[in-house]
Amino acid sequence: MTIWIRLATAFVVLAWTGAASAQQVTLRMWMHEHPPRIPIDKQIVADFEKANPDIKVDHEIIPVAEYPTKLLTAFAAGSGPDVFNYASMLVAQYYNAHILAPIDFAAMGLADEQALTSQFAGGLDGIRFKGKLYGIPTEVSNWACFANNAIWREAGLDPDKDFPRTWEDLPAVAEKLTQRDSNGVPRRRGFDFDWPNRATFWFMPNTMLHQLGATMIDEENYTATIDTPAARKAFHYFQDWANKWRLGGPQYTDSRTEFLGGRLATDCSFGIWGIPQMVSAKIDWSVHPAPRWKDAVSDNGIDIYAFYMMVNARSSPAAQKAAWKLVRFYTDHAAELFAGAGLFVPRKEVLESEAYKTNPAAPFFLSELKKAQFSPRVVGYDQVLDAMLRGRDAMLQGQSVESVLPTMNDEVNAVLNRERARAAAMAR
Amino acid sequence: MRVHFKWWGLVFVLPAVAFFAAFNVFPMLFGLYLSLTDYDLLNPPIWVGLDNFANLLADRLFLTALRNTLLFVLGATLPVWVLSLLAALLFDQAFRGRDILKAAFFLPVLPPVVVVAVIWRVLLHPNGVMTWLIGGGWGVTEIRWLADAVLAPLSMIAVHDWAAIPFFMVIWLAGLAGVPPELREAAALDGAGAVRIFWYIELPHLRATAVLVAALSSINAFQAFALQYVIPTDPGGPANSTLVLGLLVLKYGFQYFRMGDAAAVSMVMFAMILIVTIVQLRFNRRA
Repeated sequence: MTIWIRLATAFVVLAWTGAASAQQVTLRMWMHEHPPRIPIDKQIVADFEKANPDIKVDHEIIPVAEYPTKLLTAFAAGSGPDVFNYASMLVAQYYNAHILAPIDFAAMGLADEQALTSQFAGGLDGIRFKGKLYGIPTEVSNWACFANNAIWREAGLDPDKDFPRTWEDLPAVAEKLTQRDSNGVPRRRGFDFDWPNRATFWFMPNTMLHQLGATMIDEENYTATIDTPAARKAFHYFQDWANKWRLGGPQYTDSRTEFLGGRLATDCSFGIWGIPQMVSAKIDWSVHPAPRWKDAVSDNGIDIYAFYMMVNARSSPAAQKAAWKLVRFYTDHAAELFAGAGLFVPRKEVLESEAYKTNPAAPFFLSELKKAQFSPRVVGYDQVLDAMLRGRDAMLQGQSVESVLPTMNDEVNAVLNRERARAAAMAR
Repeated sequence: MRVHFKWWGLVFVLPAVAFFAAFNVFPMLFGLYLSLTDYDLLNPPIWVGLDNFANLLADRLFLTALRNTLLFVLGATLPVWVLSLLAALLFDQAFRGRDILKAAFFLPVLPPVVVVAVIWRVLLHPNGVMTWLIGGGWGVTEIRWLADAVLAPLSMIAVHDWAAIPFFMVIWLAGLAGVPPELREAAALDGAGAVRIFWYIELPHLRATAVLVAALSSINAFQAFALQYVIPTDPGGPANSTLVLGLLVLKYGFQYFRMGDAAAVSMVMFAMILIVTIVQLRFNRRA
């Protein structure tokens, strides 16, 4: 009899542990490296595992430079992460490949979409496709203009009073701040675009066009609208900046490095996250809205970009449910991530947090963010950007804006048409 | 004589063969397969036959990269052959301090190419050291080495040749060491000068070395990538003037999600290098 009792007990125990292990889900979570965030992330993941003993999280931190290729090759190999963080400019490719799972509000413990969107003051448009949301922001960023007050004062200018309100006024102010050698070569620039940063030539022309009520790409119809009076105005400005006014150009060191090194008076490529870097570089800074055109029809500052936490639609249904649970848990720590890692998300907890209230630049950034737009999100982002950079370089080499823009427009249209056709063919 | 086939010998070579098959043959065959597909890495490949190759003929980026690669090959071979041979002839002579000078001349070969590229990126700053060295005497304070579509590819060639010349010099020196000294001495006794000795004695003996130098430098130049990726502000820029085939493969494959096109470009590169190798083998046989 005893043997039968023992066997029955063993069977029950085995069945119970078997069932438990069947429910155990292991999630692979990929985040790009942002050093101040790492300890916070680790703590959040540990807390999540503690609160959800049936879910184990394999948290992987990947260097920024390797992230796009690693993510792409992981999906190619069928081993993409269940949860991953990625930038708004690049999500369209993954959306079109049906890799992004739409938000599972129930799994996140939310009644509906309204319950989520009511928490945010912006930032969700970058991950909305055809009306559906596919991720939660972990960082929403907009650039603004920072002045090195010491250089401005040395040039006899007061950044608070003299900061140019329009693009048209900017060259004259930049010239006053520029120091040149005997050949007229800038030795210290007054202001310059961050030419070496590829994203600059996505955000800046788009920003300028948005201000004029235009756009470079009609995202809905997948059509380039680059050869327009608004685009001609913007690209003439870039060409004149480097060639006619000789205030800067792509040949010089990137603007962020120069600004932090005290060799550039004004820079418009930092977000709110740049302030700690300025503090540690001992820069006496002030922040200002990006210039607008005199005939602007929209009062938007520099375009927004964001990072989103998304879920792999190819993961098992159980993993997807667990993944959305993790996304909710993680993004609910937005205030902590802002305070500890400077990653701003315009949601209630952040706006009510001590870190936000004590940050003098935060209300300014929020006000600019509310007015800004996302740059277009397209499949083939890098191809489109390369076509634009080729056109930009051709203009800087001396070709006229009027002759380059039609070619650029055709090239971008060719990319968009091909990529849309490919996406449709692959979806079949 | 009867030859006994030893089956157990296969066991010894099997690991190497398996390794070669797994890491060389299979990727090559898979690359060939991918070149016949449209593959975005996120969805399964779609068979398109020879479309990718046909499309390359009208692909502006490919044609630009092909032209840039051929120009780079030209700049990275002819001057290298001549200058490295001249350097070898110089260092083949006995003079005071020769060994120290030779070691110093060889230094650019030692650092990895990426390190070389990073150093040159700094040196080629428009207001940097090279501008000061070359333009300083004429009062020029800015030269757009990397921002000018004409100067940028020339800068790539100059940096490449700077590191390649000492390497090929060593190969020429090895070739020169194989020239029988008694032939030189006999020619000298008969009144031949340095030029005649080089032309009639040394150069014929350097045929095999010349073929090797030509082949290695050409193959190396066709595979150009690191300098064009690291040195320009935007890889391949400005205005695609430094875009070479190796860089185009990276762009197509991992930035443009066009792995089929990337594989097709790789196959074209493979064919070009194969032709160079076949020519080298032919010349080698004659030499």
